[in-house]
Amino acid sequence: MLIDAAGRVSQGPALVVMSGLALAVALISLASGAYPLALVDILGLLGGQDSSDPVHHMVLFEVRMPRLLLGFLAGSVLAVSGAILQGLFRNPLADPGLIGVSAGAALAAITVIVLGGTVLSGWVDLLGRWALPLAAFAGGSGTVFLAWKIARRAGQTSVATLLLAGIAINAVAGAGTGLLTFYADDSELRSLTFWTMGSLGQASWDDLVVAGPWLLLALILAPLLARPLDAFLMGEQVVGHLGYSTLAVKRGAILIAGLGVGAAVAVTGLIGFVGLVVPHVVRQLLGASHRTVIPYSALAGGTLLVAADCIARVVVAPAELPIGLMMALIGGPCFLALLLRTRMV
Amino acid sequence: MPLMRGVAIVLILLTQGVSAQPLAEARRVISADGSITEIVYALGAGDRLVGVDTTSSYPPAVRHLPKVGYLRALPLEGLLALEPDVLITTHEAAPEENLQRLERAGVPVVRFDVPRSAEDALERIRNVGAALGRERQAEALTRDLETSIGATTRARAQSGPGPGVLFLLAAGNHGVMVAGKDTAADALIQMLGARNVSAGVSGYKPANREAILATSPDAVVIAEARPGQFRIEDWPEIASLAAWREGHRYVGDSMLLLGFGPRLGEALADFSAALPPLQEAFKIRLLPQSTAHHAH
Repeated sequence: MLIDAAGRVSQGPALVVMSGLALAVALISLASGAYPLALVDILGLLGGQDSSDPVHHMVLFEVRMPRLLLGFLAGSVLAVSGAILQGLFRNPLADPGLIGVSAGAALAAITVIVLGGTVLSGWVDLLGRWALPLAAFAGGSGTVFLAWKIARRAGQTSVATLLLAGIAINAVAGAGTGLLTFYADDSELRSLTFWTMGSLGQASWDDLVVAGPWLLLALILAPLLARPLDAFLMGEQVVGHLGYSTLAVKRGAILIAGLGVGAAVAVTGLIGFVGLVVPHVVRQLLGASHRTVIPYSALAGGTLLVAADCIARVVVAPAELPIGLMMALIGGPCFLALLLRTRMV
Repeated sequence: MPLMRGVAIVLILLTQGVSAQPLAEARRVISADGSITEIVYALGAGDRLVGVDTTSSYPPAVRHLPKVGYLRALPLEGLLALEPDVLITTHEAAPEENLQRLERAGVPVVRFDVPRSAEDALERIRNVGAALGRERQAEALTRDLETSIGATTRARAQSGPGPGVLFLLAAGNHGVMVAGKDTAADALIQMLGARNVSAGVSGYKPANREAILATSPDAVVIAEARPGQFRIEDWPEIASLAAWREGHRYVGDSMLLLGFGPRLGEALADFSAALPPLQEAFKIRLLPQSTAHHAH
């Protein structure tokens, strides 16, 4: 029996299928791109063979490989953060954007884009191409921390206050972004538009070295929250009765989402939809336990983002579509199909 | 954070590419800038182009070339796929990381400043000529351009403040924007001895309908990204301006007007034709003052 009475898929086969799919997408991702690279050459290069053309080597190991790894890690972290926040807020519409990560990161990134040549030239001179990612990371995790502090004020952390604080911070950050957009010149305007649509187009090993540890840390820590978050589904009081500290769970969830998404957004720009849709799909197919949702969201989120990137870099070659755009194009219809399927069962 | 900063700085040092000298005999050229593409064609080297960015729209022959995307979001693999000998672009090109990796893959990246004066525009043509081994053609082109620019600007030379110009940009989905100071439009206005009525703002800013009425310019110039993008029916405020009604207006292509490329002479001549003749401009400015005097 692969599908049970509730229309859910058994875990064993699901793991095989999902891992197989992830592997297949990874291989396709290495084999697709604007540069014509034969599959034989790719396999040869992967097998350690020296290519006659050094550009082949570069395309595979310096363009496609870091792009694949960064895409997979970022997709995993976004999906896992979405799953955790949906569990914490017990709200299916929660996504990393809700607690202000994206808005904070966007405000910081756009500040660097617009004011980098004038007010912030010192920051940009000091950090070069890392000025923007570091600012985005600081902005993203900083806003989450702020939302947390606001919700913590009364001595205990209310999830509802956290949510409202996130919404308020989103509004303020959005206003700041809008103001900077007004002062931006035409080329800055284009740059920030592209940043808000996300891209893996400049992914390099440097990005992986800088953002990778944070992303991995978030992925390693996330499963620790699975059981307490399952308890959260039964109400905040139950968490305490089952022996978990609600404060520790909330802090852990915020920390993982804040640092993980902050790091992902810093190197890829804003990529929506993964965090919202992937946990839903996993829950629909495999059940709502976080012990399932978290690891499978990681696998599915990474696979989905890499798949979207494969398409984004091929359809308008030699140019590329923004990955955020591609994500919405793929994710939207998939999500709708899933909704319709649920209604019919 | 200090650790990350340290890592970042080390990585920056490691990734600084060494730029190679451009090859004069480069056969496969990518141009990532609309004006530079125009220059390459004007120098008779259009057949060497294998790819252009999305800001390149002139001459019409570029439409058949592969597009590598917007010059601020250049794709590394897409550029490599065209197997270029050189990438010619401006300092606006980005992302930096992709340009550095392109150089490490053996493709020299030649970058020029974005000109804001006739001298800089001529200098850029000479530099592009030098990069492509077309110095002789570049010399001839700059000579012609200098002559045509000089003819227009000399005819406009006058003492005192020139006619007021309202310069609007109708581009993309940003709607209609006024060109303030620190823009190519403002540079163009100054070259013609005219005065930018929107000099109070900096850069391109969304046009305010009421403010347009308050400017009462002597001429209206509108740069549109695509022909027909500006629709006067949507802007009754502009249609009601005396300058517009009296025909002191010009609606033209934004790349022609603002590109500061080989068509700069043409742009200045077209712009200048929309300005009221010198004497008339003088009268228009005196009239309100003299009536004010009367009332006093």
